[in-house]
Amino acid sequence: MPLYKVKPVSPGDIKIDLPTCMYKLPNVHAQGTNCDEHALQNGEVDPALRALEERQDEVLRRLYELRATVDGLAKTVTTPDADLDATTLSRGPAESVFRGTADLDSLLGKDLGALRDIVINANPACPPLSLLVLHSLLCQRYQVLSSVHVHSSVSAVPPPLLSCLGPRHIDSYARQRFQLGFTLIWKDVSKLEMKFNTQSMCPIQGEANVARFLFRLLGAEPQDPVAATQMDCWIDTAVFQLAEGGSKERATVLRSLNAALGRSPWLLGEEFSLADIVSACCVLRAGQSTSAPANVQRWLKSCQNLGHFDCVYSLLQ
Amino acid sequence: MTKENVQGAGEEEQQAQSKKALKKQQKEAEKAAKKAEKQAKLAAEQQETDEDDFAKDRYGICPMVQSQQKLDRALVRVQDLTPEKAEQQIWVRARIHTSRAKGKQCFLVLRHQQFTVQALLAVGDRASKQMVKFAANLTKESIIDVEAVVKKVEQKIESCSQQDVELHVERIFVISQSEPRLPLQLEDAVRPEGEGDEEGRATVNQDTRLDNRVIDLRTTTSQAIFRLQSGVCQLFRDTLINKGFVEIQTPKIISAASEGGANVFTVSYFKTSAYLAQSPQLYKQMCICADFDKVFCVGPVFRAEDSNTHRHLTEFVGLDIEMAFNYHYHEVIDSITDTMVQIFKGLRDRFQTEIQTVNKQYPSEPFKFLEPTLRLEYKEGVAMLRAAGVEMGDEEDLSTPNEKLLGRLVKEKYDTDFYVLDKYPLAVRPFYTMPDPNNPKYSNSYDMFMRGEEILSGAQRVHDAQLLTERAMHHGIDLEKIKAYIDSFRYGAPPHAGGGIGLERVTMLYLGLHNVRQTSMFPRDPKRLTP
Repeated sequence: MPLYKVKPVSPGDIKIDLPTCMYKLPNVHAQGTNCDEHALQNGEVDPALRALEERQDEVLRRLYELRATVDGLAKTVTTPDADLDATTLSRGPAESVFRGTADLDSLLGKDLGALRDIVINANPACPPLSLLVLHSLLCQRYQVLSSVHVHSSVSAVPPPLLSCLGPRHIDSYARQRFQLGFTLIWKDVSKLEMKFNTQSMCPIQGEANVARFLFRLLGAEPQDPVAATQMDCWIDTAVFQLAEGGSKERATVLRSLNAALGRSPWLLGEEFSLADIVSACCVLRAGQSTSAPANVQRWLKSCQNLGHFDCVYSLLQ
Repeated sequence: MTKENVQGAGEEEQQAQSKKALKKQQKEAEKAAKKAEKQAKLAAEQQETDEDDFAKDRYGICPMVQSQQKLDRALVRVQDLTPEKAEQQIWVRARIHTSRAKGKQCFLVLRHQQFTVQALLAVGDRASKQMVKFAANLTKESIIDVEAVVKKVEQKIESCSQQDVELHVERIFVISQSEPRLPLQLEDAVRPEGEGDEEGRATVNQDTRLDNRVIDLRTTTSQAIFRLQSGVCQLFRDTLINKGFVEIQTPKIISAASEGGANVFTVSYFKTSAYLAQSPQLYKQMCICADFDKVFCVGPVFRAEDSNTHRHLTEFVGLDIEMAFNYHYHEVIDSITDTMVQIFKGLRDRFQTEIQTVNKQYPSEPFKFLEPTLRLEYKEGVAMLRAAGVEMGDEEDLSTPNEKLLGRLVKEKYDTDFYVLDKYPLAVRPFYTMPDPNNPKYSNSYDMFMRGEEILSGAQRVHDAQLLTERAMHHGIDLEKIKAYIDSFRYGAPPHAGGGIGLERVTMLYLGLHNVRQTSMFPRDPKRLTP
C-alpha cells in the first residue's frame, strides 16, 4: 500500500564550506571511507584501479615531456638561422671512432635468433679495398663470421683474393656463436652490391655506400653535422675524382689532400674516420703512393701503422 | 492421213534412232581414243623406264645385313661433315629425318644423334629420274647408306646442325626401312610447349612419349639430356675416386626393411619373402665399420611410395656416399659439397652444347652455385621464413612449399641454386641420426637443396650400439628386425656420416626441367611398368 510521501524540504546536496582552520575527524557514519569518490562496499580501493591510475599519471607526464621536446625541436627546425649559430659549434675532437656504441638492432633489424649475415657481391677485377679495412675494424668490435665464396659466373679467382678476409675462424662450424656474418662473394657483377635482409632492405650499390653502411655499424659516425658532411665530401671526392677521374683530376685531388693533411694528422682533424679509409684505399689503388706529395705519404704511413690496412697491402703486391 | 503421220513418225523415229546411235558412237569413239592414248603413254613410260634407268645400280634396298661380307668402308659421322672435307667423296650412314621432292630434285635431311645435314639428289648424268623418285618415296626414320660429295654452301643452312656443307648424293641404299606410319613425329616431340599451341602445330604429350620411348629418345633433346646424365655419373665417380673413395656394390635383395616397413617392395624368395632395398644405407655403414673409411655406391633404389608427383619414381638410380671422419661431421659435409661443386663445374665447362640443346625446347635459368658451398643453419632458415611472413615452430619440419620459398629467399640473397641446411630438429629425423651434443632438440643432420627442392638428406650416424638401441626404442622400432644392423657397431665403429642423391632428380634440377620422367630413360612409377 503506497504511503503518503512528503516532498523533501531541503535538497540533499547542499555544499557546505567547511572552515579549514579546524582539524577534521573521519566520518563516523560511513565506515572506512576516504575522500575518494570511488570506494567499494568494504571500504578498500581496488589495487588494480590504483595501478591503472598510477599508469595514467605516468603516461600523462611522459606525454608532457615529449610535447616539450617536440616543441623545442620544431623551433630549432623551422628557424635554424635564428636559433643555431654554426660558428658557435665546437670544432673540437669528435667522438672517438673506435669507442662509440652502435645499436645493432636498430641498424640491422630485430634479432630473430639467427646469425645476421651481410652479403657483399664484388667483382674480382676490382676488389673493394676499403671494405676489407672495415671488415678488419668490425672484427675488432664484434664476433664476426667471415667467409669468402666464388660464384659460378666467375671461372677462377687468384688465391690472394680467396684469403683476403684472413684465416678461417676456429669456431666457424658453429654459426650461432657469432653476432655478425660477413660473406664476400666474388661474382661477375658490374657494380659492387650489398644485400642484408631482402624482405625489408633493398640492396646497397657502390663501394662507397656500402662503406658508409658498415661504418655505421661501428657506431663511429661523427655526431656533428659539419664533420659528417666533410666526411661525405672527402669520400665522394676520392671515389669519383681520384678513382675514376683522369690524371689531371687525380693530381688536383692529391694536392688538396696534401693541403688538408698539412693542417691536421687526419682528414677530419684529430680523429681517424671513414674519409681516411676510403681516400687512402683510392690512393693506393691508383698506384700513386710513391709519387704522392709528402704529407700524403706521411698520412699513408700512419694509416698503415694502425694495422687494419695489412689486408690491403698484401693484395696490392 | 494417219498413215502419213505414222510414216512420218516412223521416219522421225528412224532419224532419232540414228541421232542417238550417232551420239553413242561418238562417245565410244572418244573413250577408245582416250584408252589408246593412255596405253600409248604407259608404253612410252615403260620404254623410258627401261631405257633411261642408267643409274639402276646406284640405288636400291640392300638385303638385310646379316654380315654377308666384311666391307672395308669408312663411314663418316654427320657430326664430322665440315668445310674441311669439301670436295671429298665419302660414305655416310644416317637416318632420313625429312625428304622433299621438287620436280627434278629431291632434298633430304639426314640425321645422326643430335646432328643433321642436308643432302641433295638431282636428275643429271649421275642420277636418273627413277632414282630421284625412289629417294623421295623413302619413309622417314629409315637408316640409309649414302655415298656423296661434300660441297661447301655460300648461304648457311639454318635448319641443320651442319650449316656450312651440303651432300651431293651419288649412291643411296637402304639398310633398314621404317614403317611409313610413325606413332609420333620427331619435329613435334622437339617443339617447345608454347610454340605448338600458338601456331596450331602439335606437341607430343608425356604419356605418348613414354609409350614410344624408343622413338622419343632419338630426339636431339633426349640425346642431350641423357648424355649430360652420363656426365653426372662419370663426374661423380671421378671426383670421389680422386678423393680416395672406394666404389662398392651393395645387395638389393634384403631380409628386413631398414627404415620403416611401409615403403618396400616384397619379392618371393624361394620359400619365404624378401624385400627390395630402399637404400644402401645399412651396407654402406657396415663397410665403414669394416674399415673402408670412404665408400660410395651407384645402384638402383626401390621405393614403394604411391606418390604420383613430378619428382617421385618407384625405381631410380641412387648415388650414395659414406665417410668416416676424424672429429667433426662437417668434414663430411665439406667433402660431399665439394663433390657436388666439381660435378656442377664439370657440367658447366664440358657440356654446354647439351645444356643449350635442352634449353631450346625447355628454356630455363642457368644453374648458379657458390664455391665453397653455402651452409646455413636450420634456425637461420626458419628466421628467413619468418621474416617473409611464414609462421612455423622452431622444431617443425619444412613443408615442400616452405622449402621452395626458402630456396627463393636464399637465391635472392646469395644468388645460389645450391645450398646446405644444417642442424635439423631431432624429432623429424630417422632413429639412427646423431643428436646435437649441445642442444638435445637438434641433430647433426643436414639436407641439400637444388633450385629449392631437396636432393640429399644426410646426417652423422649413431655409431654406438647402446645409443642406437635407445634411439630405436624411442622411435618404437622392433629391435629384432634390426639386430644385424646394431650388431655391426658392437666391435669398434668409427664416427661416420654420409648422404645420397638421386641421379634423375639431380639432372632434372640442374637443367631446370619439371618432371623427373624426362630424365629417366624408362621410368617406373605407380602407374607405369613398361617399356
